[in-house]
Order: sequence, then C-alpha cells, then structure tokens
Amino acid sequence: MTYELPDEMAELDEFRAHVRRWCADHVPADWRALQTAATDDEFVAFQKAWFAELHSAGFAVPHWPRQWGGGMSVGEQIVLYQELAAHDAPRLVLAFVGIHHAASTLLVAGSDAQRRRHLPAILDGEIWVQGFSEPEAGSDLASLRTSARRDGEQFVVNGQKLWASGGMHADWCLLLARTDPDAPKRKGISYFMMDMTSPGIDVRPIRNAVGDSHFCEVFLNDVVIPAENLVGAENAGWQVAQATLGAERGMTMLELAERLGNAGFRWLVEECGRPRPDGSRPLDDSSVRDTLARFETEISGLRGLCRNVVEGHDTGAGGPADPSIVKLFYSELLQRITDFGADIGGLAAHTVLTKPMSSGWESGAWVLDFIGSWEWTIPGGASEIQRTIIGERGLGLPREPVSS
Amino acid sequence: MTSEFAESHDELRAVARDLLGKAGSGVDWGHIADAGWIGLEIPEPLGGAGASFVESGLILEELGRAAATSRYLGAVLAVGALTALSPNASRDALLSDVGTGSVITALVTDSFRLERSADGVRLSGRAEFVPDAAGTDRVLVIADDDGVAVIVDACRLTVTEQPVLDQTRRLAVVAADGVELDEASVWQFDGDPAAAVQRLRDRAAVAVACDSLGLAEAMLAATVDYASVRHQFGRPIGSFQAVKHACADMLVHTSVARQLVGAAVSAVADGADASVATSMAKSYACGAAVDVVGKAMQLHGGIGYTWESGVHVYLKRAALNRSLFGSPASHRQRLAERYA
Repeated sequence: MTYELPDEMAELDEFRAHVRRWCADHVPADWRALQTAATDDEFVAFQKAWFAELHSAGFAVPHWPRQWGGGMSVGEQIVLYQELAAHDAPRLVLAFVGIHHAASTLLVAGSDAQRRRHLPAILDGEIWVQGFSEPEAGSDLASLRTSARRDGEQFVVNGQKLWASGGMHADWCLLLARTDPDAPKRKGISYFMMDMTSPGIDVRPIRNAVGDSHFCEVFLNDVVIPAENLVGAENAGWQVAQATLGAERGMTMLELAERLGNAGFRWLVEECGRPRPDGSRPLDDSSVRDTLARFETEISGLRGLCRNVVEGHDTGAGGPADPSIVKLFYSELLQRITDFGADIGGLAAHTVLTKPMSSGWESGAWVLDFIGSWEWTIPGGASEIQRTIIGERGLGLPREPVSS
Repeated sequence: MTSEFAESHDELRAVARDLLGKAGSGVDWGHIADAGWIGLEIPEPLGGAGASFVESGLILEELGRAAATSRYLGAVLAVGALTALSPNASRDALLSDVGTGSVITALVTDSFRLERSADGVRLSGRAEFVPDAAGTDRVLVIADDDGVAVIVDACRLTVTEQPVLDQTRRLAVVAADGVELDEASVWQFDGDPAAAVQRLRDRAAVAVACDSLGLAEAMLAATVDYASVRHQFGRPIGSFQAVKHACADMLVHTSVARQLVGAAVSAVADGADASVATSMAKSYACGAAVDVVGKAMQLHGGIGYTWESGVHVYLKRAALNRSLFGSPASHRQRLAERYA
C-alpha cells in the first residue's frame, strides 16, 4: 500500500488529464473496424505506426530508465495504462518483446555496447522475438536442446525453437541455447541475441486454434552468432533468463486488467442486454446478473492485485509469488468471462468469424475470445506451473522429489 | 487512502496477534479496552485515539484470525453509530464511557419505528442476529422517526440470546413493542440520515468481511504448516501437486479478498458512498473464506474433521459470517442494480 502525498496526487491528476487529452486526439476512432479481417501487412503497418505515435508522445517505453527514453514514475505508468485502457487504445503487440523482454534483459545483463546498439533501435521500430521454448522443452524449459558450439569468436547454432510469437516479422531473436552439454541442465545454457537475417534461419508460422499464425517454428541450421552477441557470461544464460523473464509482467498485467475492467466488462454487460430471438434479455435473468456481479467483483480484485504488484515491485515489498498469482488469476478469469460471453452470445456469437487485431484479449467476438483464452492459460508458464510456483515460493511448501 | 496511523499498522497488528495469541479463543474485555481498540475511532477529546475504520478493520481481521470470542464487533458498530451523530453532551459522555470499556454497547442495524402521540414517544420493532446485544448496558437502535432515520439509545428492550452453531459469536433477538422513550434518547445524525444509515450497514458488512479475511488466512497458514510436516508415502503431503495446488488456490483467493476488503475498508473510512466496494468485499471475502476453510478441513484429512482440531470452529464462523449482514447473492444483486 502506498500513501501518496497531496502534491504527488495533484501531479498525477494533471498527468491523467494530459493523457486523456492525448488519447482523445490520437486514438483512431475506427481502428477496431480497420483491424478486423486486416491482412498481415496491414497489421504490421498499423502496429508500427501506433508504436511511433506513442513514442512521439513519450508513451512507448515509460518503464525504461530516463537516459534511454523512459523515466516515468510507477504512479505515472499506472495512470498511463489506466487511461490507454479506458480509451480503448490499440495494444502494442509487435513491439512487445522488444520494449519489455529484450530491453529488460539488456538493462539487467547487457553490455554498454549492446545497450547502445539495440535500445535506440527498438525505439526506431526494431522488432524482437523470443526463442526459448522447443518441442521437447515447454514447461521444462531448462531441458532445451538447441546447441551453440563455440568456434573462436563465434558460436554455431543448431536446433529448433517453437512458439516464437511474431517470428516472421522479427529483426532480432532472444535465444537460449546449450553451450555446455556436459554441465547440469541449468548450468550449460547461454543467452544470445541472434540477427534474424543470418543465413540458416528458417521461420515457419504455425496456425493456432483461433486460426491466426503469429506463433512460429524457427529452424536453426549452422547459424553463426558472433561472440559479442552473448548476453551475460557464457553458460550463465539460465540465470539471465530467470532475472528477466518476469520483469515486464507487472505493468503489462495491469494494462490487461484495466482493459478487462473497462471495455471488456462493458461489452459483456451489453451482450447480456441484447434481446434474444424471443425478445427476452439475458440481463433480466437473476442468475446472469449474479454472474456479472461476480465477474465485476473479481475484475476489481484483479486490478487491486496488479496495482499492488507494480507498487510492491517498486518499493521492494512484493511477495515472491505475486506475479504468478496475478498471471494465474487473470488467465482463468479471462477464460471464465469469455466462456460466459460465448454462452450468453449463443448461436449468433458463432457467426462472428473474425476479431480485430491489435486488440486486447477480450474483443466482444466471444467465441474466438474464449478459444484464444488458452493462449493465456498455457504459455508463459502454464496454470499448473504457476500453482507450483505459488505453492513453493509463495507458501514455502516442500518441493517435489527431483527425478534425475 | 491516507492515514497518519499508517506507520503504526504493523505495530498494532503485532500487538493484537500477541494479545490474542495469549488469550486463546476468549479475550477478556478489560484487555481489549486497555489496548485502546474500542476507542480507536473515538475522537481524542473524548479519550479515544482519533483513528479511523482502517485501524478498527485491522483489529477485526486479527479477531477473525484468532476466531476470538469478544464483544468487539458490537462495540465497533455502536461506536460507528455514535460518531455519526450530531455531537451532544449525553452522546459525548456515552462515547467516552464506551471507549474505556466501562459501558458495553451494541447496535441494531435493522430499522425500528418511532410512534409519537400526545402521551410521548414509543419504539417498536424486532431484529434478529444482532451481534453482542445480550448482556450489554445499552443497545443502540436505528429507528424511523416519521421518515427520518435516527439513533435511539433505548432502555427496556427485550434482548434474547439466539444460539447458533458458531460458538464464538454471541447473537441476540432484540425486540421492542411500544417501549416508552424519553425524547432525550432520540439522537439525530450529523448530515443526511439515509446516507448515514447506509454507511452503518456497509460498515457492518465490511467488519464481517475483515473477520472472514483473517480467519481464511489463519486456516491457510495452518494448512501449509500441516502439509509441510505430515508425511505419507514417504514425503510431506505438501510436496504432492494435488495438495500444493489446492494451497496455491487458497492463497490466490485470500489475496484477491485482501484487495477487495482493503478497498472497502478505505471507502468506509473515507466516509463517501462505500456501497459498491462493500458489496464486492462482503460477497467475495465471505464466500472465499468458506471455500478456503472447507479446503483446510479437507487437506487436514481425518484429523481436520475432529472436534479437537478446531477447524470446525473456523468453518462455522466462516459460514455464519457469509450469512451475516447480507448474503453474497444479495450483495451481488445490489451490484447488479447498476447494470442497465
């Protein structure tokens, strides 16, 4: 809990008014229509233009240190994301890995030269993809097999990465690869930045359950990475990944929770207010009203949790499992809400064949939103993994016996 | 939320845990009064601490954590009513005495009626499940005085204990059938009476939500302790995913409840309309607490079902809390009135 001094609160009020004015002037009124059934090229162009728009306002990387173009206080960032959500602004999808994960990795573990090379480039639109998961290394990421063999001042990489979101548009890849096959599995992994134009990289999109193809398989065949693109020490990649994996989560989760609490819940109530073929409205059914109130309450609790996490992260008061609690609760709440939307929407909801790109995870295309919700309960540490983390790190319960 | 007492919250909590830990389930009223808990919200000139409902909420949460038997809930609700009144000498005197613990009070939050005639003022009404009303010196009653809500400092009410399964709470039926009143015992609210009554009822609901939050956290902690030491199949049962994941869900639910209860306590303390935050906190925290304690009983296995383990004490209190001052469904109904 933070206790804001009156002048800080006044400054935040002023900042909020500034963001509101900016949103009123800059959020394109028709973006949802334009991004519905958009082609891949239209999506990429729109994402890049929106990123540039946010950047010119100083809103693209508020969480970065001031010297690199950020420097907003946590209080200001909360206000910024609350207002972007309240004005139903498009989401930054394509730039996501770059501004969050790549940047936090470089800031925590990168060299000065690496930061100077990439942080300004990210602001100019450099796109990043995460190359972590593999066919045999999902939840058990540390068992990854992609190898990077040192050859003088370079590494030669072979293997296969999976679930690399946005891989076909990426300029650079955050890559985890095994550099010491004989070491224990967490001690033989190194962290690289890989130029996606390097010879030997084959990116193949995978069509997902919703029908989109933003996930990719990335095949790596004798790809050469200069040793200067190693991040942190050789064989210390797992530790670098652990330090930066959840770094971006707090503010991202806050933005998603705010979206759910603004347009998301409003659309759900509107859906319930739409007359059925027989003229009756779901909203007049007391069980529907009860469920809506339950969701509104849970969303409110989620928003509180998210504020608590970002403020706790800022002051060092956060609990070790807080990010997992938020991720788990958000994922399953999103799934229950979109399920309810699909149920209430009935057969008509099944005729909504596309949802807008660049939107949040709930768009009002309820059946697609519902199917898409598994993209939250599975990746980024599946719900089962989150529960284990919460039990062990949050509650201190004994670990499972390790099988060798 | 701002509070000059913010820094001392940790200390207040630590003192409360210590005192309640030593006292076991029954806390001596004198100890509670000496600790200054009754007077937390009483203005300093009247001998209180001049703090807010945030601080009372903290004590309520700790009482729930200990599943303690005390008259604190009744006293907190009565203090809330008295501090909402226009100041007058007899109210000030009563507040002062309540703070020291020398006068024991409770509050009826259901509305009674005042009937005025040539031969004076009479009070009628009946309320069930009034916390801590039996054995008090004074029972305060919300009453309708020709369309205006007032607080009546009533004597000669019929107060009958109402046994419930939860043995840690004392509830009573309070009834008045044309009881004659002195005009001086009818007190006016300071400000809009209807809003003041709503605030008192919200306050009561949030007070119970605080209790449920505390007792749920206590049962989660007990379950984690037990699952860490109880061995089966050669390992602590807490190392099995089925048990660990159930505990993780308990933590998620209590964490969400803590956010909602914190927001509601702040809203009540701020004195603005707290109805939305109250209904969210009351419905969620009191519902989740029953789930959490139920899971605690399950994960304790056979021992958890025994009388001796005491888990049943928490389960009964959690279930009673859920029904006191509005069921989860009725609070959600209130929230849903805002959906067009």
